[in-house]
Amino acid sequence: MKTTSGIVAILLGPVLVLSAGAQAPADYSAYPCLSYTLPCGKIATRKPQTKTLAGALDGNAERGRQIAQARDKGNCLACHVMKGGAQPGTRGPDLSHYGNAGRSDAETYTAIHDMRTRNPETLMPPFGTNEILSDLDIRDIVAFLQASK
Amino acid sequence: MRLNIRTLALAVVASLGSAATVIAAGDEPYREHYPQARIDPARGVNGDIGFSDTLPYWRNEEEVERNAKWVGDPNEQWKLNWKFMDLDRIDLHPGHLAVDEGEAMVAKFAKRNPAFFSCLAEGGAKLDGLAAAYPKHDAALGRIVTVESRIEHCAKTVLNEDIRQGTPPNNKIAVYFKSLSAGTPIRVNIGDGKVMEAYRRGEKLFYVKTGQLNFACASCHVPGSIMGHKLRGETPTTPFADAAHYPTYRTPVGALESIQERFARCLGQMRTVQIKPGDPAFVDLEVFMTVLSNGYPVSVPSAR
Ligand code: HEC
Ligand code: HEC
Repeated sequence: MKTTSGIVAILLGPVLVLSAGAQAPADYSAYPCLSYTLPCGKIATRKPQTKTLAGALDGNAERGRQIAQARDKGNCLACHVMKGGAQPGTRGPDLSHYGNAGRSDAETYTAIHDMRTRNPETLMPPFGTNEILSDLDIRDIVAFLQASK
Repeated sequence: MRLNIRTLALAVVASLGSAATVIAAGDEPYREHYPQARIDPARGVNGDIGFSDTLPYWRNEEEVERNAKWVGDPNEQWKLNWKFMDLDRIDLHPGHLAVDEGEAMVAKFAKRNPAFFSCLAEGGAKLDGLAAAYPKHDAALGRIVTVESRIEHCAKTVLNEDIRQGTPPNNKIAVYFKSLSAGTPIRVNIGDGKVMEAYRRGEKLFYVKTGQLNFACASCHVPGSIMGHKLRGETPTTPFADAAHYPTYRTPVGALESIQERFARCLGQMRTVQIKPGDPAFVDLEVFMTVLSNGYPVSVPSAR
C-alpha cells in the first residue's frame, strides 16, 4: 500500500493539473468575506427572508433535477441523497422520497429560498436570499422534489 | 434567544480579562456565527478530546498503523485526520525533493549574502528546531510572523528579492526550514499576549459565516457540522494538528501548498472573496490553527 499511493500520485499528477486550471474565478464581492481591509469585510450578511410562493408552482421537474445536482447551481447533493444523483453527501436528510412526505409546495419553496426561517442555525445555504438560485430555479426544484417518490 | 446567549458568553470571556477583542455589537455589520465550540488553547492538540474525539486514532504512528484498515473506507477514513499519509514518509514522495531544493536555495542565497541566513535564524547559527515555535510575535517587526512571512521578509530586506508567500520558491524554502524541526513538538507561545490576541481574532474568523453559501470554517470543521459527513466526494476532518503538516505536497496537482493556500481553497468552497497568503486575516487563522497543533510534532515533508 505504501508504494502504490506514491505511484498513483506520480501517474495522476500531470493529468489532474490540466483539469484543475479550467475554472474561471467568480465574483463574490456582494457577500461578506473574512478580510479586515477589503470592502466585503464590512458587508452585512443578508437577513433571513420569508418568501411565499406566488401563484401556481408550474415547475419543470427534469430541469429541477439538473439544477439541484449541478455543482455550480444547487449542489444539493453535497448534503442530501436525491433521486438520480451520484456521490451524495450525508449531512442533510435523505430527499429521495420527499414527494411522499406530504409537504406543500409553498412550505418547500419557502424552505429552499431561505432555510434560516425554519432553523436559524441551519447549515443549508439561503439559496433564494443569496441569489444562488432564481425564483424559477426553486420552482423547478420543488417540482423535482415533489416528483421524487 | 440563541444570540443573547452568545453575546452573554462573549461578555463573560471579556470580563475574565482574556485577550479577546470583543467589538461592541453596534460597530459591526450583521453577521451570523456557527455556535462556538469550547476549545481551551492551553490544551493544544489534546483539545481534540471532547471535540472530534478522533485524536486517539491518530495521536502517533502506532495508532495510525493500528487503524490503517480505515484507509480508503469512505465512512471511517476521516477519523485518521490524514495522518495515514505520513506512513509514506520513508517513500520518496516529491515533498522530499522540495526539501532538497529549498536547502539548495537557502545555501545559494546565504552564499550571496550570509545575512540572509542569520535573518532566517534570527541572529543564530542554526535553523534547527526554530520552526516549531512559529507563528510568533516578532517585537522588532511589531507583528505576527509565520515561517513563510519570515522568508519573504528576509529575502526582501537582505537580498532585495521577491520570494512571496504562496509561491513555489517560498514554499520550498519553508518546507526545508520546517523539515529542520521535523519531530519537534509544536510550541506556539500562548503566553505571549500578542499571540493570544491573534488566536482570538482567528478563532472569531473561524466561526463567522461569510460568502454566498453563508458558511463558516466551523460549518465544516466542528462536531455537529458537516465534519465527519460526506460532502459529495470529501469528508471534512478535525482542525486539530493540521498545521503540523504544512506546507504539504499536494499529490493531485503535483505542487507544494502552504496552509494559507489551503485556507484559500476552502474559501473557494465557501464562495467568498479570496484573500492572499500573508493577509492579516489568514495570519490570525494560522495562529488559531497552529495553537490547535501545539504538542504535536512538526510533520514535514508530508503529502495530501
Ligand atoms: C450544506 C448542506 C446542505 C445543502 C448544500 C443543502 N441542504 Fe437542504 N438541508 C440541510 C440540512 C442540515 C437540513 C435539515 C434541516 C436543518 O438543519 O436546517 C436540510 C433540510 C432540507 C429540506 C427539508 C427536509 C424535510 O424533511 O423537511 C429540504 C426540502 C432541503 N433541505 C432541500 C434542499 C435543496 C433543494 C438543496 C439544494 C438547492 C439543499 N437542500 C441543499 C443541509 C443542506
Ligand atoms: C464547505 C465545507 C468547508 C468549509 C466551509 C471549510 N472547509 Fe476546510 N476543508 C474542507 C474539506 C472537505 C477538506 C478536506 C478534508 C479535510 O482535511 O478536512 C478541508 C481541508 C482543510 C484543511 C486541510 C486539512 C489537512 O489536514 O490537510 C484546512 C487547514 C482547512 N480545511 C481549513 C479551513 C478553514 C480555515 C476554513 C475557513 C476559512 C475552512 N477550512 C472552511 C471543507 C471545508
